[in-house]
Amino acid sequence: MSTSLELTLRPDASPTRHLPGDLAMWFFILAELTVFALLLLTFAVAQALQPQLFHDGRQLLDSSTGLALTLSLLTSGLFAALAQEQVRQAQARRGAWLLLAALLSASVYVWLKLGEYSHLANSGLGMEHNTFFTLYWILTGFHFVHVLLGLVILSWLAERCRQGAYGPGNCSALESGVLYWHMVDLVWVLLFPLVYVLN
Amino acid sequence: MSASTTLIACWLGLAVLSFASVQLGSAGATLLMVCAVLLAALGKAWLIADGFMELRHAPPMWRWLILSWPVVMAAGVLLALSVSL
Repeated sequence: MSTSLELTLRPDASPTRHLPGDLAMWFFILAELTVFALLLLTFAVAQALQPQLFHDGRQLLDSSTGLALTLSLLTSGLFAALAQEQVRQAQARRGAWLLLAALLSASVYVWLKLGEYSHLANSGLGMEHNTFFTLYWILTGFHFVHVLLGLVILSWLAERCRQGAYGPGNCSALESGVLYWHMVDLVWVLLFPLVYVLN
Repeated sequence: MSASTTLIACWLGLAVLSFASVQLGSAGATLLMVCAVLLAALGKAWLIADGFMELRHAPPMWRWLILSWPVVMAAGVLLALSVSL
Protein backbone atom coordinates (compact mmCIF):
# COMPACT_ATOMS: atom_id res chain seq x y z
CA MET A 1 0.00 0.00 0.00
CA SER A 2 1.25 3.46 -0.80
CA THR A 3 2.77 5.44 2.05
CA SER A 4 0.80 8.60 1.37
CA LEU A 5 -1.68 10.00 -1.07
CA GLU A 6 -1.01 13.30 -2.76
CA LEU A 7 -3.25 15.07 -5.22
CA THR A 8 -2.06 18.00 -7.28
CA LEU A 9 -4.32 21.02 -7.24
CA ARG A 10 -3.46 24.40 -8.70
CA PRO A 11 0.21 24.99 -9.58
CA ASP A 12 0.22 28.52 -8.13
CA ALA A 13 -1.38 28.11 -4.68
CA SER A 14 -1.93 25.17 -2.32
CA PRO A 15 0.11 22.92 -4.63
CA THR A 16 -0.65 19.61 -2.97
CA ARG A 17 -3.28 17.99 -0.79
CA HIS A 18 -1.70 15.40 1.41
CA LEU A 19 -3.27 12.54 3.33
CA PRO A 20 -0.91 11.77 6.25
CA GLY A 21 0.01 8.20 7.09
CA ASP A 22 -0.66 4.99 5.26
CA LEU A 23 -3.84 4.70 3.17
CA ALA A 24 -4.58 1.34 4.86
CA MET A 25 -4.77 3.14 8.22
CA TRP A 26 -7.50 5.42 6.89
CA PHE A 27 -9.59 2.41 5.79
CA PHE A 28 -9.00 0.85 9.22
CA ILE A 29 -10.17 4.09 10.86
CA LEU A 30 -13.33 4.11 8.72
CA ALA A 31 -14.07 0.51 9.77
CA GLU A 32 -13.51 1.34 13.45
CA LEU A 33 -15.71 4.43 13.26
CA THR A 34 -18.49 2.32 11.73
CA VAL A 35 -18.35 -0.18 14.61
CA PHE A 36 -18.34 2.60 17.20
CA ALA A 37 -21.23 4.31 15.37
CA LEU A 38 -23.36 1.19 15.84
CA LEU A 39 -22.52 1.03 19.54
CA LEU A 40 -23.14 4.74 20.15
CA LEU A 41 -26.48 4.69 18.33
CA THR A 42 -27.52 1.54 20.21
CA PHE A 43 -26.81 3.38 23.47
CA ALA A 44 -28.87 6.41 22.34
CA VAL A 45 -31.82 4.28 21.19
CA ALA A 46 -31.79 2.29 24.45
CA GLN A 47 -31.81 5.59 26.37
CA ALA A 48 -34.80 6.77 24.33
CA LEU A 49 -36.65 3.56 25.26
CA GLN A 50 -35.75 3.68 28.97
CA PRO A 51 -35.04 7.36 29.80
CA GLN A 52 -35.58 7.05 33.56
CA LEU A 53 -33.31 4.02 33.87
CA PHE A 54 -30.54 5.83 31.97
CA HIS A 55 -31.05 8.99 34.03
CA ASP A 56 -30.69 7.00 37.26
CA GLY A 57 -27.68 5.08 35.93
CA ARG A 58 -25.93 8.26 34.87
CA GLN A 59 -26.38 9.72 38.36
CA LEU A 60 -24.09 6.93 39.60
CA LEU A 61 -21.28 8.13 37.30
CA ASP A 62 -19.09 11.11 38.16
CA SER A 63 -19.09 13.64 35.31
CA SER A 64 -15.96 15.32 36.74
CA THR A 65 -14.15 11.99 36.33
CA GLY A 66 -15.48 11.92 32.77
CA LEU A 67 -14.07 15.41 32.24
CA ALA A 68 -10.68 14.38 33.65
CA LEU A 69 -10.68 11.33 31.35
CA THR A 70 -11.45 13.61 28.40
CA LEU A 71 -8.67 16.08 29.24
CA SER A 72 -6.08 13.34 29.73
CA LEU A 73 -6.89 11.81 26.33
CA LEU A 74 -6.95 15.16 24.54
CA THR A 75 -3.65 16.20 26.14
CA SER A 76 -2.13 12.90 25.05
CA GLY A 77 -3.39 13.58 21.51
CA LEU A 78 -1.77 17.02 21.60
CA PHE A 79 1.60 15.59 22.66
CA ALA A 80 1.42 12.93 19.93
CA ALA A 81 0.64 15.57 17.29
CA LEU A 82 3.48 17.79 18.55
CA ALA A 83 5.85 14.79 18.44
CA GLN A 84 4.97 14.20 14.80
CA GLU A 85 5.64 17.86 14.06
CA GLN A 86 9.07 17.68 15.73
CA VAL A 87 10.04 14.58 13.73
CA ARG A 88 9.11 16.39 10.51
CA GLN A 89 11.56 19.11 11.57
CA ALA A 90 14.32 16.52 12.06
CA GLN A 91 14.03 16.67 15.86
CA ALA A 92 13.50 12.94 16.43
CA ARG A 93 14.77 12.89 20.03
CA ARG A 94 12.45 15.73 20.99
CA GLY A 95 9.71 13.76 19.25
CA ALA A 96 10.52 10.73 21.39
CA TRP A 97 10.19 12.80 24.58
CA LEU A 98 6.85 14.18 23.42
CA LEU A 99 5.62 10.66 22.67
CA LEU A 100 6.66 9.70 26.18
CA ALA A 101 4.59 12.64 27.48
CA ALA A 102 1.66 11.38 25.38
CA LEU A 103 2.12 7.97 26.93
CA LEU A 104 2.13 9.39 30.47
CA SER A 105 -0.98 11.45 29.84
CA ALA A 106 -2.73 8.38 28.40
CA SER A 107 -1.66 6.45 31.50
CA VAL A 108 -3.60 8.96 33.60
CA TYR A 109 -6.68 8.01 31.55
CA VAL A 110 -6.04 4.31 32.20
CA TRP A 111 -5.53 4.90 35.93
CA LEU A 112 -8.74 6.97 36.22
CA LYS A 113 -10.76 4.51 34.15
CA LEU A 114 -9.56 1.52 36.15
CA GLY A 115 -10.51 3.42 39.32
CA GLU A 116 -13.99 4.05 37.94
CA TYR A 117 -14.40 0.42 36.83
CA SER A 118 -13.24 -0.80 40.22
CA HIS A 119 -15.63 1.53 42.07
CA LEU A 120 -18.61 0.46 39.94
CA ALA A 121 -17.78 -3.24 40.20
CA ASN A 122 -17.39 -3.01 44.00
CA SER A 123 -20.76 -1.22 44.18
CA GLY A 124 -22.47 -4.11 42.42
CA LEU A 125 -22.94 -2.09 39.22
CA GLY A 126 -21.57 -4.71 36.88
CA MET A 127 -22.56 -5.59 33.35
CA GLU A 128 -25.64 -7.51 34.46
CA HIS A 129 -27.03 -4.78 36.74
CA ASN A 130 -29.33 -3.19 34.13
CA THR A 131 -29.46 -2.08 30.47
CA PHE A 132 -27.59 1.16 31.19
CA PHE A 133 -24.65 -0.60 32.79
CA THR A 134 -24.62 -3.40 30.22
CA LEU A 135 -24.19 -0.82 27.45
CA TYR A 136 -21.86 1.31 29.60
CA TRP A 137 -19.45 -1.62 30.10
CA ILE A 138 -19.61 -2.75 26.47
CA LEU A 139 -19.16 0.73 24.99
CA THR A 140 -16.52 2.08 27.36
CA GLY A 141 -14.82 -1.33 27.63
CA PHE A 142 -14.45 -1.58 23.86
CA HIS A 143 -13.01 1.93 23.80
CA PHE A 144 -10.71 1.09 26.73
CA VAL A 145 -9.25 -1.85 24.76
CA HIS A 146 -8.46 0.61 21.97
CA VAL A 147 -6.73 2.89 24.48
CA LEU A 148 -4.59 -0.02 25.72
CA LEU A 149 -3.62 -0.88 22.14
CA GLY A 150 -2.82 2.81 21.65
CA LEU A 151 -0.44 2.70 24.63
CA VAL A 152 1.44 -0.17 23.00
CA ILE A 153 1.62 1.74 19.71
CA LEU A 154 2.80 4.96 21.39
CA SER A 155 5.48 3.03 23.30
CA TRP A 156 6.70 1.43 20.08
CA LEU A 157 6.73 4.78 18.26
CA ALA A 158 8.62 6.46 21.12
CA GLU A 159 11.29 3.76 21.07
CA ARG A 160 11.63 3.91 17.27
CA CYS A 161 11.86 7.69 17.47
CA ARG A 162 14.59 7.42 20.11
CA GLN A 163 16.48 5.13 17.75
CA GLY A 164 16.19 7.76 15.01
CA ALA A 165 14.08 5.55 12.75
CA TYR A 166 11.88 8.44 11.60
CA GLY A 167 12.81 11.67 9.85
CA PRO A 168 11.33 14.44 7.73
CA GLY A 169 11.04 12.25 4.62
CA ASN A 170 10.38 9.00 6.42
CA CYS A 171 7.57 9.29 8.95
CA SER A 172 4.57 7.58 7.35
CA ALA A 173 4.57 4.80 9.99
CA LEU A 174 4.74 7.39 12.76
CA GLU A 175 1.87 9.33 11.16
CA SER A 176 -0.23 6.14 10.93
CA GLY A 177 0.32 5.31 14.62
CA VAL A 178 -0.50 8.86 15.67
CA LEU A 179 -3.62 8.81 13.46
CA TYR A 180 -4.84 5.70 15.29
CA TRP A 181 -4.42 7.59 18.56
CA HIS A 182 -6.41 10.57 17.26
CA MET A 183 -9.17 8.17 16.16
CA VAL A 184 -9.41 6.99 19.79
CA ASP A 185 -9.79 10.67 20.80
CA LEU A 186 -12.38 11.26 18.09
CA VAL A 187 -14.57 8.42 19.33
CA TRP A 188 -14.23 9.56 22.95
CA VAL A 189 -15.47 13.10 22.28
CA LEU A 190 -18.80 11.60 21.14
CA LEU A 191 -18.84 8.83 23.73
CA PHE A 192 -18.20 11.16 26.68
CA PRO A 193 -21.34 13.36 26.38
CA LEU A 194 -23.53 10.39 25.49
CA VAL A 195 -22.50 8.30 28.52
CA TYR A 196 -21.73 10.97 31.14
CA VAL A 197 -23.65 14.12 30.26
CA LEU A 198 -26.82 13.80 28.16
CA ASN A 199 -29.85 13.20 30.34
CA MET B 1 0.92 30.67 12.83
CA SER B 2 3.31 27.73 13.25
CA ALA B 3 2.02 24.15 13.19
CA SER B 4 2.77 23.70 16.90
CA THR B 5 0.87 26.88 17.80
CA THR B 6 -2.10 25.68 15.74
CA LEU B 7 -2.08 22.36 17.60
CA ILE B 8 -1.98 24.07 20.99
CA ALA B 9 -4.84 26.37 19.92
CA CYS B 10 -6.84 23.27 18.92
CA TRP B 11 -6.19 21.71 22.32
CA LEU B 12 -7.33 24.90 24.10
CA GLY B 13 -10.53 24.87 22.06
CA LEU B 14 -11.06 21.20 22.92
CA ALA B 15 -10.55 21.86 26.64
CA VAL B 16 -12.95 24.83 26.68
CA LEU B 17 -15.63 22.84 24.83
CA SER B 18 -15.17 19.91 27.25
CA PHE B 19 -15.73 22.15 30.28
CA ALA B 20 -18.71 23.76 28.53
CA SER B 21 -20.27 20.31 27.85
CA VAL B 22 -20.21 19.38 31.53
CA GLN B 23 -21.62 22.78 32.58
CA LEU B 24 -24.39 22.51 29.99
CA GLY B 25 -25.15 18.96 31.07
CA SER B 26 -25.76 20.06 34.65
CA ALA B 27 -28.09 22.86 33.49
CA GLY B 28 -31.06 20.57 32.85
CA ALA B 29 -32.52 17.97 30.50
CA THR B 30 -34.10 20.00 27.74
CA LEU B 31 -33.92 19.62 23.98
CA LEU B 32 -31.98 22.89 23.79
CA MET B 33 -29.39 21.59 26.25
CA VAL B 34 -29.04 18.32 24.33
CA CYS B 35 -28.52 20.31 21.10
CA ALA B 36 -25.89 22.51 22.79
CA VAL B 37 -23.96 19.54 24.20
CA LEU B 38 -24.03 17.76 20.84
CA LEU B 39 -22.89 20.92 19.06
CA ALA B 40 -19.94 21.14 21.47
CA ALA B 41 -19.12 17.48 20.76
CA LEU B 42 -19.34 18.16 17.02
CA GLY B 43 -16.98 21.13 17.37
CA LYS B 44 -14.51 18.96 19.29
CA ALA B 45 -14.66 16.19 16.71
CA TRP B 46 -13.99 18.68 13.90
CA LEU B 47 -11.07 20.21 15.80
CA ILE B 48 -9.53 16.74 16.16
CA ALA B 49 -10.17 15.84 12.52
CA ASP B 50 -8.99 19.08 10.94
CA GLY B 51 -6.34 20.00 13.53
CA PHE B 52 -4.80 16.87 15.02
CA MET B 53 -5.47 14.52 12.07
CA GLU B 54 -4.50 17.27 9.58
CA LEU B 55 -7.50 16.65 7.36
CA ARG B 56 -7.75 20.34 6.42
CA HIS B 57 -4.86 19.61 4.03
CA ALA B 58 -6.23 16.25 2.87
CA PRO B 59 -8.08 15.30 -0.34
CA PRO B 60 -11.70 16.51 0.03
CA MET B 61 -13.24 13.01 -0.12
CA TRP B 62 -11.32 11.82 2.96
CA ARG B 63 -11.86 15.08 4.79
CA TRP B 64 -15.62 15.03 4.30
CA LEU B 65 -15.86 11.32 5.09
CA ILE B 66 -14.29 11.83 8.51
CA LEU B 67 -15.99 15.19 9.20
CA SER B 68 -19.40 13.71 8.39
CA TRP B 69 -19.03 10.89 10.95
CA PRO B 70 -19.65 13.13 14.02
CA VAL B 71 -22.47 14.89 12.14
CA VAL B 72 -24.24 11.57 11.56
CA MET B 73 -23.60 10.55 15.16
CA ALA B 74 -24.90 13.82 16.61
CA ALA B 75 -27.97 13.73 14.34
CA GLY B 76 -28.69 10.10 15.26
CA VAL B 77 -28.33 10.74 18.98
CA LEU B 78 -30.47 13.88 18.77
CA LEU B 79 -33.17 12.02 16.85
CA ALA B 80 -33.20 9.17 19.37
CA LEU B 81 -33.17 11.38 22.46
CA SER B 82 -35.77 13.83 21.14
CA VAL B 83 -38.29 10.99 21.31
CA SER B 84 -37.87 10.71 25.07
CA LEU B 85 -37.75 14.46 25.86
